[in-house]
Amino acid sequence: MNKQATSPSKPNSRRREPALTYSKARGPREQMLPRMGAMLIMAVFAFYFLIPIWWLFVSATKSKGDLTSTNPLWFSEFNFFENVGNVLTYRDGVFLRWIGNSLAYAGGGALIATVLAGMCGYALAKYSFKGRELIFNVILGGVLVPATALALPLFLMFSQVNATNTFWAVFLPSIVSPFGVYLTRIYAGSSVPDELMEAARLDGASEVRTFFSVSVKLMFPALVTVFLFQFVAIWNNFFLPLIMLRDEGNFPVTLGLYTWNSQINQIPELRMYVLVGALLSIIPLIIAFLFLQRFWRSGLGAGSVK
Amino acid sequence: MKPFKSAIAVAVLSAIALTGCSSSDSGDTAGAAIQCTPADGPVTLSFTSWIPGIEDVVDVWNKANPEIQVKVQTGPNGNSGTYQNFFNQLKAGNAPDLGQVEYDALPNFRVQDGLTNIAACQDVADAESTFIPWAWNQVSFGEENAAYGIPQDTGPMALFYRSDLFKKNNIAVPTTWEEFEKAAVEVRKTGSYITNFSQNDVNQFAGLVWQTGDTWFKNDGDKWNVALTGTGSTTVADYWQDLIDRDLVSSFPGWTSEWDNAYNTGKVWSWNSAVWGANSIASGAPDTAGNWSVAPMPQWKKDDNTSGNWGGSSTVVFNGSEHPYEATKFALWLNTSSESLTMLNESANLYPATTAGLDLPSLKEGVEFYGDQKIYDIFAASANQVSSTFVWGPTMTQTYNSVSDGFKAAVTGKGTLTDSLKSAQEATIKELKTQSIPVAE
Amino acid sequence: MSRTELLNAEPAVLENRKPKNKFKKAIVLFVAPFGVLFLLFYLAPISYALYQSFLKVDRQGTFGKAKEVFGGFTQYIAVFQNGPFWESIGRVFLFGAVQVPVMLGLALLFALLLDSPLVRGKKFFRLAFFVPYAVPGVIAAIMWGFLYSPNLSPFTEVTSKINFLSADLVLWAMANVVTWVFVGYNMLIIYSSLLSIPTEIYEAARLDGAGQLRIALSIKIPLVTPAIIMTAIFSIIGTLQLLAEPQVFRTFSSAVNSTFTPNLAVLTTSSIPNIHLAAAMSVVLALTTFILSFAFLKFTHPKGN
Repeated sequence: MNKQATSPSKPNSRRREPALTYSKARGPREQMLPRMGAMLIMAVFAFYFLIPIWWLFVSATKSKGDLTSTNPLWFSEFNFFENVGNVLTYRDGVFLRWIGNSLAYAGGGALIATVLAGMCGYALAKYSFKGRELIFNVILGGVLVPATALALPLFLMFSQVNATNTFWAVFLPSIVSPFGVYLTRIYAGSSVPDELMEAARLDGASEVRTFFSVSVKLMFPALVTVFLFQFVAIWNNFFLPLIMLRDEGNFPVTLGLYTWNSQINQIPELRMYVLVGALLSIIPLIIAFLFLQRFWRSGLGAGSVK
Repeated sequence: MKPFKSAIAVAVLSAIALTGCSSSDSGDTAGAAIQCTPADGPVTLSFTSWIPGIEDVVDVWNKANPEIQVKVQTGPNGNSGTYQNFFNQLKAGNAPDLGQVEYDALPNFRVQDGLTNIAACQDVADAESTFIPWAWNQVSFGEENAAYGIPQDTGPMALFYRSDLFKKNNIAVPTTWEEFEKAAVEVRKTGSYITNFSQNDVNQFAGLVWQTGDTWFKNDGDKWNVALTGTGSTTVADYWQDLIDRDLVSSFPGWTSEWDNAYNTGKVWSWNSAVWGANSIASGAPDTAGNWSVAPMPQWKKDDNTSGNWGGSSTVVFNGSEHPYEATKFALWLNTSSESLTMLNESANLYPATTAGLDLPSLKEGVEFYGDQKIYDIFAASANQVSSTFVWGPTMTQTYNSVSDGFKAAVTGKGTLTDSLKSAQEATIKELKTQSIPVAE
Repeated sequence: MSRTELLNAEPAVLENRKPKNKFKKAIVLFVAPFGVLFLLFYLAPISYALYQSFLKVDRQGTFGKAKEVFGGFTQYIAVFQNGPFWESIGRVFLFGAVQVPVMLGLALLFALLLDSPLVRGKKFFRLAFFVPYAVPGVIAAIMWGFLYSPNLSPFTEVTSKINFLSADLVLWAMANVVTWVFVGYNMLIIYSSLLSIPTEIYEAARLDGAGQLRIALSIKIPLVTPAIIMTAIFSIIGTLQLLAEPQVFRTFSSAVNSTFTPNLAVLTTSSIPNIHLAAAMSVVLALTTFILSFAFLKFTHPKGN
């Protein structure tokens, strides 16, 4: 049984310095061939992973005519800012609104989803009660349900309360993350020591207080991971919004881009806008990755470690 | 654990509540004409459409009609999601008052009990004669006292072709399908293709069948008759199959960059398309500006004057709208006033479905992309040659998918176009049966 | 290292087995918010879909109004007789059997390389490999559609000779898109699992003169097996629910029909609209997913409970 790092704020504190220790044990010359091989593999695949992104970026800088007629991987006339300007001002700046909506759906939704899943996973891990396993297994079963099966019934349910075509119709279903419960349960089980909870109880803290002041800190890497996953899941989801929303003003950016893409037949300029919009829409995610990177790396492995 | 028991009880209750509500559809008077009386006070209508620029047109209406305000919502193209939304909303009972529905989807909406018959509105009866007869036939289903929508635009077909290339290579512009096939051989010798057979544009194929005077469906009031394998269909299918087999036509999927590129680089020389296609070429193949012309569709018999239709929409009043009178008023204005028709033509290249609309000033001018040819004269003639007999089926989404799946297999060398029509015929009959829609075998 | 029982994990629990649970209030407070929402937005819609799957429509006349009546197993019989639906399931099985091992193999390789002293610039590679995960499925498919194009691709030397969008290859063209998006994500899961292995474990091996390859094969891989199993389960689920890629590929490939994957078949059926049959298909699909995930777990943990 291998324990998760017990000091989550510094997940790598027990980490070896591999480069040093290894090269002491084995001569540098023996390392040359494997090192070159390894770097070659990494370089080839870095090319594979980045080339489509590069293509997207280069395409976004071109004029419509140059898009199909010039080298797809190199710049021609630099139209990037003009293109971005066009996208941002098209239909009174609806694109910015979509980005804002997406941030609200994904940011707010992921935050609440994380708190709810964290509480539930924590309770399932740290307290024993009747029906616990049943609840856990039912929640896990939720992961298996196809999105297409949920969306239509949800639409009809929201219709009953006249809430389709509202922010909440997309937001509320997004704050339920069965995967988050699974991950936080496993992580809480191994990272929150019983002794600590007992100590907090002896100090007179309530269970809820203990959770928010002590346990949350210990579970932080897992919580950040859940947040990130849910953020990406909501950000990428367009099926539920497609069914729920009518008013363009409530669209998230994926649905907006999908709509533009479906109108290319009628408005060909949109092909360019879809490319530029796609590029702009992945930027917030990359920023989120960079920003949260130091936390979530140690949380990711949690689901598998017992 | 009590809380969990009660929580489960809540879930069960909500499930029961849901099912109770959804099956509470009342009444069974599908398609009966409604009362058409004005409301007492000001009215706000909701309208869903995917026409680019529709907001500006609606703004004009709203300024002139403070008592009948229209709130417009846009979404993806019908088959890309908006139809599905309409069906869901109809099931949930919260469809908008008005919506855009293409002709080929009208029977599907009617069979799902989604359309209000607005024939009882006096305005509609008065306006009937202003529409091109076959377009009206699409919304009336050929029945008396029936109007399940107001025709918005039509897609009469013609032949777009690269006049410069035909001329340069000394190939005559075909006027019959026989000549078209001969020209295809000549064009192929230059390394290019005379045209492209797009396997995902089943409605283009339907337009070609429409030209023959055949139909895909018949409805005698008791039963549906599925006729995808009629003489017209098989003639057209065999004709194109032969061109595909001999590699005389390309088979790029329509509306892709690949397809644009084929036209832009002169790899493909002509396109049997509808009037709204004029803009698609201009924007998809900008490098070829000035080199295109439009000719009437090739004919099956020399000196015939037949044409087909590809596309076209109507504005419908959905079932459940509380204000059919006002909704109808708006729909009529939208689709008959020259003010609105001009705007729709400018912003979305819609081609009016009214006879008077064909004479809009903007449709009388030469078009630069087509070497200043007055192309709309050809389409106006074409619009008057479209037959009234073509009928769409009640599960057209499924029929399109079946035909298209077969066509896709056919262009990749598995089976033929006729095979796909046969299998689509069977699949459609099967689908009608599952929905317990009466159908002749 | 003990076995991991993914679905039956049994974390440390307070020794508190008295009949009356003194934390009852706290438990309810922690579980209820998620529980209620889960009931509302998962269980209720699922029950509703189940209910729908047992209905059928009845009507009179060519444009008769549809009535929903109880249909028993009518829809399920229709699902089992639906050839294209089962073809689509077979297709994603084939897809999964090839794509999941390839993707996870690559992910494991990259994770091990990142964890070895052989690679410089780890931060760069970690981010570079992970960036595709930020691209929504729909957008990724549109992008790759361009890259596969015979005429417009930056790699026309390859794409003009090999048609990646043809019937023989399009499934693997899609597999490539999925791999492209998810390798980095799976790599990070395995990598962070590697990071949590205590250093001491390697010391002995290293003193015994074991090389890195040896350490990777006999120490690291067995230790991260639970992580690989978890990623495998989620990949299997993801494969059975493929939707965005075929939906987009349909618009530019002749080889992708309207029932290419099970989820696309469900969507196509529900847009007819025939929601009863679509609901029955969803139920069958969810059950298939469940059986498959469960079988996989049993297979990897023959003695698990």
